[in-house]
Amino acid sequence: MSKRILIVDDEPRYLRLLEANLRTDGYDVITAQDGLQAIEVFSSNPVDLILLDIMMPKLDGFATCQRIREFSNVPIIVLTAKGEERDRVRGLDLGADDYLVKPFSATELLARVRAVFRRAQVSADVGQARYFIHGNLRIDFARAEVWRDEQTVSLSATEYRLLLQFSHNVGRILTAEDLLVSVWGPEYRTDKEILWVSIARLRQKLEDEPHSPKHIATRSGLGYLMPPMEEE
Amino acid sequence: MDTVDLQTLEYLDSLAKIVAQTEDWKLTLDTLIASLRKHFVFDNIAIYILDYEARTRSIEVAYARALGRGHKAEADAAWGEVMAGQVLTSNQISVQEPINVEHIEKRLGHPYLLGLPLNTPTELIGALVFVRFGGPPYSQEQIHLASLVTMMISHAFERRIWKEKLKNLETLQSQLRMQEDFVATISHELRTPLGFIKGYSTTLLRQDTVWDENTRREFLMIIEEESDRLNELIESVLESARLQSDTLQMNIQPVRLDAIIRDVTTRVSARHKSVEVDLSCIQCTPILGDNVRLALVFENLFSNAIKYAPDTKITINIQRIGDFMRITFSDQGPGITGEHLPYIFDRFYRVPGQPGRTGTGLGLFICKQIVTAHHGNIWAESMPGKGTTFIIDLPA
Repeated sequence: MSKRILIVDDEPRYLRLLEANLRTDGYDVITAQDGLQAIEVFSSNPVDLILLDIMMPKLDGFATCQRIREFSNVPIIVLTAKGEERDRVRGLDLGADDYLVKPFSATELLARVRAVFRRAQVSADVGQARYFIHGNLRIDFARAEVWRDEQTVSLSATEYRLLLQFSHNVGRILTAEDLLVSVWGPEYRTDKEILWVSIARLRQKLEDEPHSPKHIATRSGLGYLMPPMEEE
Repeated sequence: MDTVDLQTLEYLDSLAKIVAQTEDWKLTLDTLIASLRKHFVFDNIAIYILDYEARTRSIEVAYARALGRGHKAEADAAWGEVMAGQVLTSNQISVQEPINVEHIEKRLGHPYLLGLPLNTPTELIGALVFVRFGGPPYSQEQIHLASLVTMMISHAFERRIWKEKLKNLETLQSQLRMQEDFVATISHELRTPLGFIKGYSTTLLRQDTVWDENTRREFLMIIEEESDRLNELIESVLESARLQSDTLQMNIQPVRLDAIIRDVTTRVSARHKSVEVDLSCIQCTPILGDNVRLALVFENLFSNAIKYAPDTKITINIQRIGDFMRITFSDQGPGITGEHLPYIFDRFYRVPGQPGRTGTGLGLFICKQIVTAHHGNIWAESMPGKGTTFIIDLPA
């Protein structure tokens, strides 16, 4: 089964160039012309690699990369302009696996795609599933929306990020330190209270009974976890 | 007269010093809270800040500490969130006492709450809640002290907000500076067609695949088009550089504007058959100017009109007004919105949202350079949906 690549570029001539080369190298290709479209397309189609242009209108390449990384480990190659080192660095920091500088030659493009595929680890967890369901809770990753019993729940940015940690680690106990560092940053490593308050608030918003939580449970002395649901 | 006792003054002084001398906002809070606790007992404190960045004005927990009783209850403990919501609505200090506290086990569910708003001179930025399990109720002195410390904390948060805003502005500024950097922009503009030439030619040169005749032609045509574009760009850049240099030598002679425009119209019509032009000239006397360069001005205006207002009638009017010859050049295209209008004569400025890559971005800039070199003036008037009019005044 051939690998599928999503090409994201606002310039039709680049889409044509990339598509022509990738198809003849045996890949399946789908395209998007801006960041928002990219996220929609990605959430509804299985994709094995993304070629992402940095300069785009609406949602720019960096923001798109970040958003995709919120719910997927899919390999990403960013396309940058020559001379913009900070773009390359930023792309890599935001989770891109490699970069390709314009102008590039067709053979270089194909070699990098092959290299990224070689390096990419196929993980069973890596889904681009657009929706996450846990009991009466539903997360729409593409829109960054959370629903409880078919009603939207309004979460602060931090609360959403915290919830994502749990949804990506169902059944796994996350220590307070893990959560503090990944959601707030390393300088918050020992600020346990801010985690407590945030979990309390999250429970208020998500749980039918905040004091007997079904979505975010406490494991005394160990940490917190989102227990697997018996029936999906 | 009642005077404030020395001890109190020294204490207040020490608090003020913490705020004035500590740079890091978290450290400021930790130190303030620790110092406050000597005179004012509480178990939990939580600071809620209105997220000024978010469109939805959501409430984030910025800081929380459990320093006294009941901190084993962790996430089940009271953090005064409901009280915070009230304070954020009322912008008033708020006190809540449990109705009836009899048994110790029930204490945790019935805390004493003191909520205070955090304010900057211009707006309400958040709320601070002190939580105390078990009595005594907050006294007037304690509420005053809490209020004082809250104002200091507001200060620390305001500083943090300003710092972040400053950082964002600085990033924006350096980005803008990069855009204004002529050399950087030029290389970027030139590399775009180069990217296609390199990309498509290496594609055709691939040894591992054969392209069918149609695709080969398609790619070769793209290479040709992009080479033309590159050429056009280089010409524009050079022309612009020439106009800018001090050694510019214009060929000044008496010229007839209507003749120049008619010539340009003929050339343009040869390339674009559907162009419709209406030219009128009142008091058509010659002026002093550089023939070739003035022609370029109108070629650029035509070029713009064809790209952005295709298949609409172009109306050109030449008239003498006082000491000037005024030329108006109007199309009936979609027009330009007010927010972009001031920038269209800027180098490389392209109205965002236009599909595809149209123009070199230098056309209008060069027009302005040429008109200015003639000691004239050029500007544009436009209404979305009603077309655009370029007005040029040249000394008569």
